[in-house]
This record gives sequence, C-alpha cells and structure tokens, in this order.
Amino acid sequence: MATMLFDIYRYDPEQGGKPFMQRFELDNIDPGMMLRDALIRIKAEQDETLTFRHSCGEGVCGSDAININGTNGLGCITPLSELKQPVKVRPVPGMPVIRDLVVDMQQFYHHYREVKPYLIRHEPEQEVEFLQSPEERDKLDGLYECILCGCCTTACPSFWWNPDKFRGPAALLQAWRFLADSRDQNTAERLEELEGPYKLFRCHTIMNCANVCPKGLNPTKAIGLIKQLMLKRQI
Amino acid sequence: MGKKLKKNRPRFLTLWQIKLPVMGVVSILHRISGLFVFLVMPLLLYLLELSLRSPAGYQQVTALMTSWPFRVGGWLLLALFAHHLFAGIRVLLIDMEWGSALASARRSAWLVMVAVVVVLVAGTLL
Repeated sequence: MATMLFDIYRYDPEQGGKPFMQRFELDNIDPGMMLRDALIRIKAEQDETLTFRHSCGEGVCGSDAININGTNGLGCITPLSELKQPVKVRPVPGMPVIRDLVVDMQQFYHHYREVKPYLIRHEPEQEVEFLQSPEERDKLDGLYECILCGCCTTACPSFWWNPDKFRGPAALLQAWRFLADSRDQNTAERLEELEGPYKLFRCHTIMNCANVCPKGLNPTKAIGLIKQLMLKRQI
Repeated sequence: MGKKLKKNRPRFLTLWQIKLPVMGVVSILHRISGLFVFLVMPLLLYLLELSLRSPAGYQQVTALMTSWPFRVGGWLLLALFAHHLFAGIRVLLIDMEWGSALASARRSAWLVMVAVVVVLVAGTLL
C-alpha cells in the first residue's frame, strides 16, 4: 500500500463560510502506520494549517478522538491498513468545532465535574491509608481506565439531543466508579444528584458508547448498575 | 467576540455520515415502531369494536381486512409490533444485566432482527 487518499473536514473560523471536506493524497505509507501519523505528515508536507489535537500517540492521553469513516476512535491507535479509502476524517459528532478536527469540550468537562469525580468522606480524614480488600478493588476494574477522550459521549444519540442536560456515558461511568468505591461515603448525595428525567435516565441502552470506547469499557453497564443501586435504595 | 464566535461554531452531526452499529439501529427502530404502534392503536380498536357490534359489522371488517392495502398494512404492523416487542424484551434483559456486555448486546440485537423476519415469514405462511 503505497498511496492513500484522505478526505478531511476543514473549518476555519477566521475565513468564515461552511465546513468542507478536503482531499489529500499521501504516498509512502508504511505498513503499521497509524492515522495520527498520516495527519502529522499531511500537516508537515502538504498543509500546515491542518489543525488537530494529539499528544501521547499511544492511546493513553485521549487527545485525538476523531470520527474515522463514520465511527469515533483515537487516531493514534487506528491502523491505516484497517481503513477503507478515501479515509473520511471528521471531528467527533455534536460538539462545536473550533477549527478543523478540534472541538470545544467544555460541555463534556462540565458534566464530568458535576459528578464529583473524587473520593468524598464524611468521617474525619484518617491518618493512615484507606484499606480495600482485593474484591473491593476489583469493582473498580473497567471503570478507572477511562481516559476521557469523549469518543463514547459524542457517539451517544441521547447526548446529541440533550448535550446540556444528559450527563453522557463518560461522566456516568465516572459517577459509577466513585459509587462503586468502598472508600467513598457520598453515595446518597451522588444518587440524588442524578435523579430526574435527564441526567441519568436519558440513557436508552443504545450502547453506541461501548461500541466505540477505545479502552473497551462499557458505560451502558455502569449506567445500568447506577439505576439498580437507585432502585435497591428505594425499596 | 468570544460568545459570538462560540454561537456560530458549526457542529458535525450529519446522521447519514455517522455509522450506527446494529444496537443503534435496533434502538432507533424500537422508538419508531413504538410510535407507529401507538398511533395505529385507535384504528385497531375501532375495527375491533365494529366487528363486535353486529354480524354485518363483522362482515365489513373481514372484507376490509382481506383487501390488499390492509394486508400490506397488517404485514407492516406485524413487523413493527414484533420488533417493538422483541427489542423491548432485549432492553429489559440488559437492564437486568443479562447480556449487557458489548458482544452479547450485539448478538441480541441481530437476534431481534432475525426474530422479526421469522415472525413475518410465519405471519405470511399462516
């Protein structure tokens, strides 16, 4: 595979006008090259105005969430060999575009902050470590690994229609991460905060979130467990 | 300035350019089928009431039901109803943590689609 075609979403707020797709042709594609590598080369060799976020390059920082051929994913861990040409690269859906592939994540972080993603204790702080049994620690597996890339939340139709009210899969996965933590003492308040028709209950078990998560996590399952906990505490 | 810029920012949300997994398709069809089944309910209740009113009414409804537009409509309604039922049961099971993993949710979504086809074939044959 020597040459590849890319159609990339372009938007420049200073020029005004509507976003458009721009075709790039890139040669000397190495086997094993990732989409992020291709974007870096296009920027270096063909158009230095092409704008996108990236950092670690190995699926850890979560900076380069983009929509690749219609599905959200991280550019840095998406091999070019798996992609159909022309590779259509767009920003993640539903978020305000700042420039090209860079979106405004403020709304996403707002919901994340609202679930209070940290341990809350009501008892006075103890001066030694909070001990957890291996079983209690196991409950956090599949939750703590989230890198907050936003692939899940921006693939969720419920979030597209209610971005200001529905917390979204990423924030709700974190809500469950702290509800499930044996060291946290804020369960009642956390559940109360999620009451109402929107924040939690806009999830309709579509599972687009789990389908796109680059870390293989399952926010739908976490949301189901929050609902179960709510139910158990009300009976 | 900042606010104005923010307001004018485009969003990429062209639905036909976003790939929907089979679970997403089943979910959307679940909502559409629910709406149609709900909307058609008054008509069905009216036809039921008409058929129970008198022997003449019964004959009238039978004649109507055998006409081809109604047969096609009935076939479509059967598909929508079957889909709504199976997709609803699927969601209830996932809520009870049965098949909430991604692979099993994908399988159950396909199963819903296949079950609708089976019901349709059975409905056509019977």
